[in-house]
Amino acid sequence: MRTSRALGLVMIAPAAVMIFLFFLMPVVLTAIFAMTNMSTATGISGGAWQVTQTAVNRLKAEMPELAGGIAEPRFVIDEEGLAALEALKLKAGFGTELRTSHMGEVFPSRREAERMIKALKDRPSTREVKQISDLFNRSVLNTRFETRDQLMASLKKLGFTLTPAEQETVAATTYTGWVWTTENFRIIRNSPDMAQIFLNTAFYVSVTLLLFNVSYALFLAITTHYMPASTASVFRAIWLLPRITPVVIYVLMWKWLTWDSGFISMFMGQFGYPPKNYLLDSANNAWFFVILINGFIGASMGMLVFSSAIKAIPQTQFHASEVDGASRWQQVRHIILPQLRWPILFVTCYQTLSLLASFNEILLSTRGGPGRATEVWSLAAYHTALNNYTGNLEYGLGAAMALVLVVVGIVLSLIYLRIFRYDTLISKPLIED
Amino acid sequence: MTVLPILKSATLAAVLFASTAVFASAKDVTISVWSGGSGPNDNYRTDAFDIAADILEREAAIRGQQLNIIVQKTPYSGWEDFKQALTLAAEAKKAPNIVATGHEDIGPWAQAGLIVPVENFIDLDSWPISDIYPNLMEITSFNGTVYGIPQDAESRPFFFWKPYMKAIGYSEADIEALPAKVEKGEYTLKNVLEDAKKMQDKGLVQTGYGFYPRNSNGPDYWQFYTSFGGVMEEEGKLVFDKAAMKRTYQYFADLVKAGVTKKNHIGMPGDQWWKEVATGKAGIWHGGTWHYARLVNQEGLKDFFTNVQFTLVPAGEGGKSNTLTHPLAYLLMAGHTDEETRIAADLIKIASEPRINALHAIKSAHLGISPSETKVDLYAADRWASEATERLLPHANAMPNNADFGKYWTIMWKNLEASWTGAKTVDAAVNDAETELKSTLGAAIIIR
Repeated sequence: MRTSRALGLVMIAPAAVMIFLFFLMPVVLTAIFAMTNMSTATGISGGAWQVTQTAVNRLKAEMPELAGGIAEPRFVIDEEGLAALEALKLKAGFGTELRTSHMGEVFPSRREAERMIKALKDRPSTREVKQISDLFNRSVLNTRFETRDQLMASLKKLGFTLTPAEQETVAATTYTGWVWTTENFRIIRNSPDMAQIFLNTAFYVSVTLLLFNVSYALFLAITTHYMPASTASVFRAIWLLPRITPVVIYVLMWKWLTWDSGFISMFMGQFGYPPKNYLLDSANNAWFFVILINGFIGASMGMLVFSSAIKAIPQTQFHASEVDGASRWQQVRHIILPQLRWPILFVTCYQTLSLLASFNEILLSTRGGPGRATEVWSLAAYHTALNNYTGNLEYGLGAAMALVLVVVGIVLSLIYLRIFRYDTLISKPLIED
Repeated sequence: MTVLPILKSATLAAVLFASTAVFASAKDVTISVWSGGSGPNDNYRTDAFDIAADILEREAAIRGQQLNIIVQKTPYSGWEDFKQALTLAAEAKKAPNIVATGHEDIGPWAQAGLIVPVENFIDLDSWPISDIYPNLMEITSFNGTVYGIPQDAESRPFFFWKPYMKAIGYSEADIEALPAKVEKGEYTLKNVLEDAKKMQDKGLVQTGYGFYPRNSNGPDYWQFYTSFGGVMEEEGKLVFDKAAMKRTYQYFADLVKAGVTKKNHIGMPGDQWWKEVATGKAGIWHGGTWHYARLVNQEGLKDFFTNVQFTLVPAGEGGKSNTLTHPLAYLLMAGHTDEETRIAADLIKIASEPRINALHAIKSAHLGISPSETKVDLYAADRWASEATERLLPHANAMPNNADFGKYWTIMWKNLEASWTGAKTVDAAVNDAETELKSTLGAAIIIR
């Protein structure tokens, strides 16, 4: 018993690892990202400590003395720098000349210091000029410190001894990387656009699901069930085309249909209508096509599942009902639909999740337009986190949006299981008791 | 017996080692260059490095070093995919050595440490860098540090289809005087709407083609905000001028209401847009200096100057006529050895020399980066470059280099798009923008 249990664990291990790596980890990582303010500007891998002009401005209110002291770049020719220069083992002439002619000079900018260094008689190369000027840099302005301690040490060298609380403030103001925050969820809650996108998503998912992925799929499955086998398979094959066509080509065909110079425009032109972009003409038009584009793909999946489920119903039940004089509608109502409860649950649940998460057809057709009218949640998350014109990728906010989607998906699945009474579906049939 | 094989392999190892040493002195350095927004006319953004590499190799040879530079070029035609690819590549430590991108990326990328200041590797006092227009160098600086070398300049004019202007009553002399009238603020955005309407009413252009703006998001739309009196940044802080933004949103809503601009204009296929403005389907439109190259080279508008007049972006209520320059800059990406970055910096310096940069400026109808470039024959002989430089560049301003500008832009744009398409009223759009700016940027933006 014990060995078989262990064997079971071993057998399931590869699948468990896969589930962990490819299903659980992304969700966990999304949750972690969602709790940060990561963006292009903060980077992902952590930041540095940099006293920029902006940071100095922010420090002015709390620590005017420190802010004043570090606000200007300063390059000072001093003994310390000369000693460091000797250690570099460049031409000896540089050090000698700096000591004799420039000792104690102060330069208010790097450029001015470098102009002096460049003019040294031994003519340092550009590379050497940069090396030398670095040694005499006596300010922290714009220097990138990889650790907080380095920044504090440099400030100390400049004569600023800070209390731990002050150090905390300086570190927080000068840190360039991301920090932990719950701000993303507040932004999602307060933004009027997010509310609109949420409504868009609810509309898109429910309409596509109800009209196409379930109803139309059922209609196809039932009508093909009553057709001769060969005709039925032709019809099913046709309805599979949207699914098996590569999505880019499939959507491109819709665009050809709807563009200003597309088929509909050409056709309507025969009746004197000026050409227009039917896809993006109005929000209603865009929704109409977005739902058709997705619905035609989704219908085929439901059609396959339902058809095979109807096939699994014993033929005897149909024969018996026909003997009893049942009409087609009565057969559908009393034989087919009751036995399709499980596949309908599956299709509803599965398609809800896939509609919630998929945005490629919308991205390819309307890109969320016109005026973000067809922007759905997953597409908005993608635009926020990974792809927008300004290149401002907000990984944290995008992840928070994705996390909302995960939660919505789980909640909806639980509701479906409840509505379709999942427990009775998996309980043992009473007849076998 | 055992000594011999050891000796043999030791000799072999030594020979191998020595041979690698020989190869090592003939240095192979791979320098990768990416560029964004680079269409068929912009090939010199990256191709300039072939020429620069050749010169640098020859210079090294004269100094007695053997340097072999392999330039890997990756131009992207758009912006979204380019910025996504570049940011993620940089985060994965696979950034190219050099990138040509819009100057507004300097802020966020510098903060994230994705780029290193170019001034750490290039002597800014040396030629040709010292010759570059100081205001361009200003645009490629962030926090007082020079991060990039300007790669080009441009400005964004309004275009008028001359035959239609004549048809609605402008004489040849009126059209010639138009640029000056726009500059003085005598011809405004209101006149644009009226003239566009006249062109449509006369049946010269179809409904929605009177004024034919850019078909996608772009820096262009900040010009309208400026025309209506808006300011983007003041003393390092972003500024959201609510009244000016409202006038901007209202203008596009009015254009749609008057029927001179299409409600669903944004997102239309780019190729169609180009074809239509090149063939006189649109009456008035706006774009950039580089549109000249595309219209003439790709779209077949050979007699540009007889058909098209160009001016600054006209003033609106509360503002002045203006144009925007959106220079691209060569930036040095972090994560490479000091030596590679130094070679990359040397290449940028050579690529910025007047004659090489002029290849890009003239082929792509951008503007030059230095006064001496305008004296290169190729540049001086080009009517477009000289007229556009003179008429537009003195009035050009630029978007701010601010790490938060991208957020501001995204919010500004999506609400403009929403009020344009009628998804929101103008008031709702401005209020939504304000709410979101407050919640995302907080104290980093002045709202007034």
